[in-house]
Amino acid sequence: MMNTWWPVIRLSWKNVWRNPLRSAVVILAVAIGTWAGISSSALMNGMTTQYTVNQLNTSTAHIKLSNPAYSEEYLPEYHIADADSITAEVRAMDFVKAVSARSVVQGLAQSPANSYGVTVKGVDPAIDSLVSDVHSHINEGTYFPEVRNAVLVGEKLADRLDLRLRSRLVITFQDTARNITGGAFRVAGIFNTPIASFNEQTVIARKSDLNRMLGAEGISHEISLKLNHYKEADARVDTLKKLYPQLNTESWGDLSPALRYTDSSVGLMLYTFMTIIAIALIFGIVNTMLMAVLERTQELGMLMAIGVNKTRTFVMVMLETLFLSLTGVPVGMIFSWISISWLQSTGLDLSAFSEGLQEYGLSTVIYPQLPEGYYLNIGLLMFTATLLASIYPTLKVLKLRPVQAIRKL
Amino acid sequence: MSIITTNGVTKIYNSDQVPVHALNGVDVSFEEGEFSAIVGPSGSGKTTLLNVLGGLDEPTDGAVQISGTNLFDLSDSDRIQFRLNHIGFVFQAYNLIPVLTAVENIAFILQMQGKNKKECNERAMELLELVGMPDKRDKRPSELSGGQQQRVAVARALASKPDFVLADEPTANLDSASTANLLDIMLRLNEEEEMTFIFSTHDQRVVERARRVITLVDGKVDTDEKHNN
Repeated sequence: MMNTWWPVIRLSWKNVWRNPLRSAVVILAVAIGTWAGISSSALMNGMTTQYTVNQLNTSTAHIKLSNPAYSEEYLPEYHIADADSITAEVRAMDFVKAVSARSVVQGLAQSPANSYGVTVKGVDPAIDSLVSDVHSHINEGTYFPEVRNAVLVGEKLADRLDLRLRSRLVITFQDTARNITGGAFRVAGIFNTPIASFNEQTVIARKSDLNRMLGAEGISHEISLKLNHYKEADARVDTLKKLYPQLNTESWGDLSPALRYTDSSVGLMLYTFMTIIAIALIFGIVNTMLMAVLERTQELGMLMAIGVNKTRTFVMVMLETLFLSLTGVPVGMIFSWISISWLQSTGLDLSAFSEGLQEYGLSTVIYPQLPEGYYLNIGLLMFTATLLASIYPTLKVLKLRPVQAIRKL
Repeated sequence: MSIITTNGVTKIYNSDQVPVHALNGVDVSFEEGEFSAIVGPSGSGKTTLLNVLGGLDEPTDGAVQISGTNLFDLSDSDRIQFRLNHIGFVFQAYNLIPVLTAVENIAFILQMQGKNKKECNERAMELLELVGMPDKRDKRPSELSGGQQQRVAVARALASKPDFVLADEPTANLDSASTANLLDIMLRLNEEEEMTFIFSTHDQRVVERARRVITLVDGKVDTDEKHNN
């Protein structure tokens, strides 16, 4: 039985090359479409992942534990009871990569030039640098030199308050007894993270300095966790909630639902994008195959006349379509893999648009990335698209009556 | 012994608009080993009769029996299979598959019948030798002259060892030398292999060499003469 299919398969392949230029154009279109789709998807995926990672590394962390009252009202008195022992316990957990217990207050930063509302984070610099990557975004100065009341400010805040290195900055806030207090700080470093709002509204101080001003040594308002992978956060939150029911435990997705939505919808976005490209290709393929079928009406009629049944004629035309795209798709995939691999090492430098990108929390150098399974899914998507594209031209073949073709001879 | 018998075959085109009576009750039969020409003026129904005999066109009325099988009692797919195994076709415009070589064109029919590659190639070469073209085995149709293409088409028609060959104006596009050459080949195959040939033609050179000439006028058999060539 298979014997009678081989000549049809061979004839299909030869038919593909009957008009080499036309076939080459279609194969090229499929290859370029696949390459463009996959590469753009990788770029979008890279941007979204970087956006998520930037948010988590700069400010949100993977999981945060806090006093439930603090989540409702950001008052310094609502600190975590017994924070040091909880921090030590959490640090010992195998799924936790790093932990930083921070004190946090809302205050008003004043310089001789201006004033602005800020969030002051009190951190232990050595420990916090394992959770947050602010230290890697210091543009001027140093990450907490050994001087008293040193602070780090974002570049935008520095602009707004006209601050430079070693500028004096006065911050006023409530202490744990709800008294207005404050202190004078000295700018030791200016950071510029990819998150514009963080650069504008955050001041980072030593926890010991901030707590001294709060009048409560050793307190923490939040315990920020970094896990082995941020995708684990939701699952680990349940464990921590059971262990610490007295605390408010939130994953990064709970803290930033918009971020969770962006992260979870990226897959759908990529497939939607690829589907649009596939649909455009379907029209191109249908057009080409329709031309290929219509210009061969007589020949197809002759094949049916001499004994090639409709199923085989149908399969022959369908295979021609498949051969076109099955040649183009792997070529597109290979070029996508090469270009993505190359850009993964060099990155795509978009520093010309740095200001705009920062507004959206994006880095200026984008590293495209795509899960490996996506290549297989794209292959299946393109295969399905080609099958769909072959339906209309092959239906035309099914409607052919050999005698009509013979009459034209 | 009759291999083809038609009973009151009628074919009306555009029956719902202005009806054209292409065939008007044709009763004719063909014996095994005949070399018959169907002639007649344009529009007399020659090609329609050939199409009906080949199962390509269904008659409006009447029946066609081939080797005891009523052709139009078969389903479409069975009729295609029947054509593959029992009927050879030669078309006016040769209609070889342009992407296949001469030998591949002939072997294609045999491959469709499920024969193995060796058997297909041997038979295809044997037929190419019969039509005097063994040296053109690897040439594509575009590399062959009209006469050579038609000889390959005859070889293809014979590949499956059909009961008979239907040829629609096989010499219409050929020059005198090619026509003579093709007729020699067909006559030789008719004599040596007892292959039945039925062809429609306008060509007097073909008519002169036919052993039976059926003349159609207005879709009816006008005359049916046997010649002693």
